[in-house]
Amino acid sequence: MTSKKEQKNKNAKRRGASQWAVAWRRFKRNRAAVVGLAIVLVVVFLAVFGRFFAPYPSRPDPGAFEPFYKGDVRVPPNSEYWFGTSGLGTDILSEVIHGAKYSLYVGVIVTVITIGIAILVGSTAGYFGGWVDNVLMRFTEVFLVFPALLFILVFVRIFTLTAQDPFLTIPLLNIRIPMGLTIVIFVLAIFSWAGNARMVRGEFLRLREREFVEAEKALGASQSRIIFRHILPNILSSIIVVASLTIAYAILIEAAVSFLGFGDPNTTTWGQILQENFADMRIVWWAAIFPGLAILFTVFGFNLLGDGLSDALNPRLRD
Amino acid sequence: MSAVSNVKGFFGSSMVKYVIKRLIYMLPVLIGISILTFITLHAAGDPLNIIRLGRPTVDQATLDAVAAYYGLDQPIPIQYLTWLSNILRGDFGNSLFGGIPVNLLIGNWFWETVKLMTISIVLAFIISIPIGVYSARKPYSKTDYAITSFSLFGVSMPTFWLGLILIIVFSFTLGWFPSEGSTGVIKVWWGHYVFDKIAHLVLPVAVLVYVSLAQNIRLIRANMLEVLRSDYILAARASGLSERKITYSYALRNAIAPTITFLGIALGAIIAGAPMTEYVFNWPGLGRTYVNATTRLDFPVVMGIVMIITVMALLANLIVDLIYVYLDPRVRIG
Repeated sequence: MTSKKEQKNKNAKRRGASQWAVAWRRFKRNRAAVVGLAIVLVVVFLAVFGRFFAPYPSRPDPGAFEPFYKGDVRVPPNSEYWFGTSGLGTDILSEVIHGAKYSLYVGVIVTVITIGIAILVGSTAGYFGGWVDNVLMRFTEVFLVFPALLFILVFVRIFTLTAQDPFLTIPLLNIRIPMGLTIVIFVLAIFSWAGNARMVRGEFLRLREREFVEAEKALGASQSRIIFRHILPNILSSIIVVASLTIAYAILIEAAVSFLGFGDPNTTTWGQILQENFADMRIVWWAAIFPGLAILFTVFGFNLLGDGLSDALNPRLRD
Repeated sequence: MSAVSNVKGFFGSSMVKYVIKRLIYMLPVLIGISILTFITLHAAGDPLNIIRLGRPTVDQATLDAVAAYYGLDQPIPIQYLTWLSNILRGDFGNSLFGGIPVNLLIGNWFWETVKLMTISIVLAFIISIPIGVYSARKPYSKTDYAITSFSLFGVSMPTFWLGLILIIVFSFTLGWFPSEGSTGVIKVWWGHYVFDKIAHLVLPVAVLVYVSLAQNIRLIRANMLEVLRSDYILAARASGLSERKITYSYALRNAIAPTITFLGIALGAIIAGAPMTEYVFNWPGLGRTYVNATTRLDFPVVMGIVMIITVMALLANLIVDLIYVYLDPRVRIG
């Protein structure tokens, strides 16, 4: 990250401040945006290094139930269990820490897929226009209009039932990928790209009539070159902003799906913890408060970051 | 198509044509969604299996009879066509659990959901206008920061979690409001059955209002900021109009049009968010029933609710588009 930025700064010195250097300077001045970035970095840190300092290991490992064997079930927050223990006899603090990696996994992968589909559909519709645009946009509208959550529930139910192995282990790196959660991610992505595709299309409509595109056409550039080398870099800033907000959205909706009991039972995402403790919430209020605070904190961070990026990258919108 | 240039044109023939066209466009969308739901539901599993799980002793003959009674033994395309022809005659079929006609129940669910949603949307919209305007008129002031962070919190908060917290605080701890349902079963709250209904509405409405309030404030603030910077506001100021008149009759009218379009999307968010709120508060509306019916693979109920919600969403979008044209005559329709 920093090395890239230094390179950018060097470039900036050579050819005058680049667009990105200017944006970074503007970003740094915005206190809310910096707070957002800090929150996101904390969550990333927890996701990567959490397992080294979490008091108990993450769920499929029987060590997670150690408080249960000690007889510490439904213990309110104290000096030993900072966030208390759940009705299943697990340490809420550890589960919240382990939840960070699942949340980031959901957020990032959903965003990558949705942005990919959005660019594909949006750029085709926006660049070619005419009947292509009409057909693609009607198609997009179907996805935009109908109540996605309802469909997500049905699809998640089907596909999680068909999942064979709960985990796929990547050799060497020793990273275990939860399959049920991955299925949830794909279903979420399929139902979340429509709004972004509309945004990409709008930007393409705006840019395709501009002089630089015309000039490129006159020079005989191929369509793919115009789309990918000329128009796309120009909407990159909007895409970055939308990506940050999509991560926030994905984390929220995954929490909702898990909370309704349609999530992957093998992964303790924050929504999953809330779901498990919903029934005896009257007693274990701490199990309802802390995972929710974690969701709020993370989503708040990504939203702040998105707003900050938007202000920094699209200065026309600001004073 | 012709541009709608004034209020008279709004009710003119081009408008009627446009509405009819939009209504006709809805049909393929509805049929597409119904086919998609039907196929996915059948791919999700066999409701007979759930009976088998619940009553392991049941014999095959009974299961066959059940399947024949509900038409579950037919091939899926035939089942779909039967369902379609029934629904065209206004018959949603019988619930697979209890065999009650969906028609009898769906009205109640619909009414409960509409009650919850209308109150929240209207309240949120009315409250958000003055707050958003105030925030935009004094941008980057302390109050503005307070308002924007308050609304950003609302956008970042899981709906259902806010519901949980409110239940824990106001229902379990303080005991001011009921924690579930739309009417008191064991006791009547606040002494009278009308007050009892209101008492049950308070917490779920509070959740929905806060969530959509947050979105509305952000939109109104952003649009007002843009409008207040434009040249005609400068001109209005130069001509000596009062600040109040400029804000509310010049700027707000122009800022509200884009807000209304987003309200369409916000509506979608509320329709999507309502199941969560209904589930947490055990509210007997469409959303909670949908979640339960999906877990039990109750085809007729799920299909009926999906159809109703889709029609609601499509109509809401159409109405929003019409309001948009009315507020901003430059927008062309067609």
